Amino acid sequence: MDHPPLTLAPEPLAAAGTSAAGRGGRRLAAWRRPSRGLLLVLPTLLFLGCFLVAPYVNMLVMSFRNPSTTAVFAPGFTVGNYTKALADPYYLGVLAQTIALGALTTAICAIVGYPVAYHLARTRSRLRGLLYVGVLSPLLVGVVIRCYGWIILLANNGLINNAVKKFGGASHGLPLMYNSFGVGVGLVHVFLPFMILPILSAVQSVDLALEDAARSLGASRARTMLRIVIPLSLPGIQAGAILVFVLSISAYVIPILLGALKVKLMPTLVIQLLIDAFLWPFGAALAFILAATGGLIVYLFIHATGRLMRGLG
Amino acid sequence: MVGGAAKLGTRAGRASFLAFVAAVYGFLLLPLVIVVLASFNAGELLTFPPQGFSLRWYQHFFRSEPFMNSLFFSLWLAALAMVLSTLLGTTAALYVVRFAGRWRDAIRLLIVTPLLLPEILSAVALLFFFYGIGLGKTVTGLVIGHVLITLPFVFLAVSSVLYNFDTSLEEAARSLGANRFTTFRLVTLPLIKPGVISGSLLAFIVSFDLFAVSLLLKGIGRETLPIQLFDYVTWDFDPTAAAVSTVSIAITLVAVLLVDRMVGLRSLRF
Repeated sequence: MDHPPLTLAPEPLAAAGTSAAGRGGRRLAAWRRPSRGLLLVLPTLLFLGCFLVAPYVNMLVMSFRNPSTTAVFAPGFTVGNYTKALADPYYLGVLAQTIALGALTTAICAIVGYPVAYHLARTRSRLRGLLYVGVLSPLLVGVVIRCYGWIILLANNGLINNAVKKFGGASHGLPLMYNSFGVGVGLVHVFLPFMILPILSAVQSVDLALEDAARSLGASRARTMLRIVIPLSLPGIQAGAILVFVLSISAYVIPILLGALKVKLMPTLVIQLLIDAFLWPFGAALAFILAATGGLIVYLFIHATGRLMRGLG
Repeated sequence: MVGGAAKLGTRAGRASFLAFVAAVYGFLLLPLVIVVLASFNAGELLTFPPQGFSLRWYQHFFRSEPFMNSLFFSLWLAALAMVLSTLLGTTAALYVVRFAGRWRDAIRLLIVTPLLLPEILSAVALLFFFYGIGLGKTVTGLVIGHVLITLPFVFLAVSSVLYNFDTSLEEAARSLGANRFTTFRLVTLPLIKPGVISGSLLAFIVSFDLFAVSLLLKGIGRETLPIQLFDYVTWDFDPTAAAVSTVSIAITLVAVLLVDRMVGLRSLRF
């Protein structure tokens, strides 16, 4: 069973109608001209133009609008929303906490996910299909349900604390939820599959013969891992890390349910400003500041890991 | 793996490696198992040991009008989003793989963009936009939001199948005189069926579980199941939510089993 990559991995180069030979050749070449099938893609392009491109452009414009207390925005444009957010230590602190928690989640997912992905890629067990479903299963269950499962476990009167009180004799439970620990557990749990799947397909593309060669030449298992397998599967780690990082800094449900607004993060703050306070221009500016910061970090990360991979290659 | 000199140390290392992997699987599955167990527990909270088997939380669920309404609304919404994104995603994939010229990469990138952008950001963008064009808090807006998010899944599933099958089959049909429609119906469609089925069922699952888009775009009194569940769980920990979750997991499971039966699980792509 080949495990498809989670990422939008480069597709195999399609042989575009070059083999069309013989009598039908010319007609087929005409059939393959891009303009011929345009009707097929037009509805999708229109749809995305109207409901993806236009809304994002509109949001960008919104972030430069003048705030208003009586309407959604006042006439005129300003950069004040951005300068206000960037000058305020409170918002910068929330941004820093969001990025830090995202980076920590990514690191933990990589450390925890790599062995699982490696095992799944190399195992010959009959349970292989079942294990694959095990990795996929959290993805197929809604995030609210997964958080609810953690609430049952981690709440002050939840399963773990009940057990601690009963068997450990502690009078107070452990603070497992409504803090960054609970949010971190939720983030790692929800996004771990996004780390495992790209690494899985990367490890599968590492030729087993290379490992066997290193082992038979006397390298220990650990050394083979560190010098052969992990360097060759770096693209998978890179893809997984980007996915997990982007998903964790933009997570909304998990911080609310497991952090209960005690853990201040950007997405929850933005939604609060939009829905409760109706500060649309300012909320839009904050959303773009988060997106730009995340994008910059991803760019630097790609740059750094790209250099690392080139150095190895 | 290679046998080699099986030292005691490596055997212990192997055992701890397997134990670690098993622990991670446990971690992944634990909350889901707990939710299902809690839904069948007689007590108010899942305590240890459990207080006996009961279906009373399911009774609660099925008698709760808000939950039942949101369940049917979510099923309807997911089915509609599935149909629309399957139509758009499949035709777009056919174009990109079979026809597109130099714009191929740009079009492909545009179509998968909703998957690359954080869902919450797209939801905010749509919230502003729909407010501006008068679709704010309407079912139409909600459906559009769901189609936007689910479209890339269908597109990716269908295009990966398209890339993998031999174009000469279509060419043979064409050169033997079949017209374009007949070729599509008798050759292309049966070949891309696995991609269409797994893509559309994935779209159904994603829409059924979608949260942020629904939260920002829903109309008043039009709750989807995840939102209803979220509201409930925020205030109340009683196992009615567990029963709702278990039913929701079961619905997803049916969709996954359908994929497995019809085209095999391996075609389920993320």
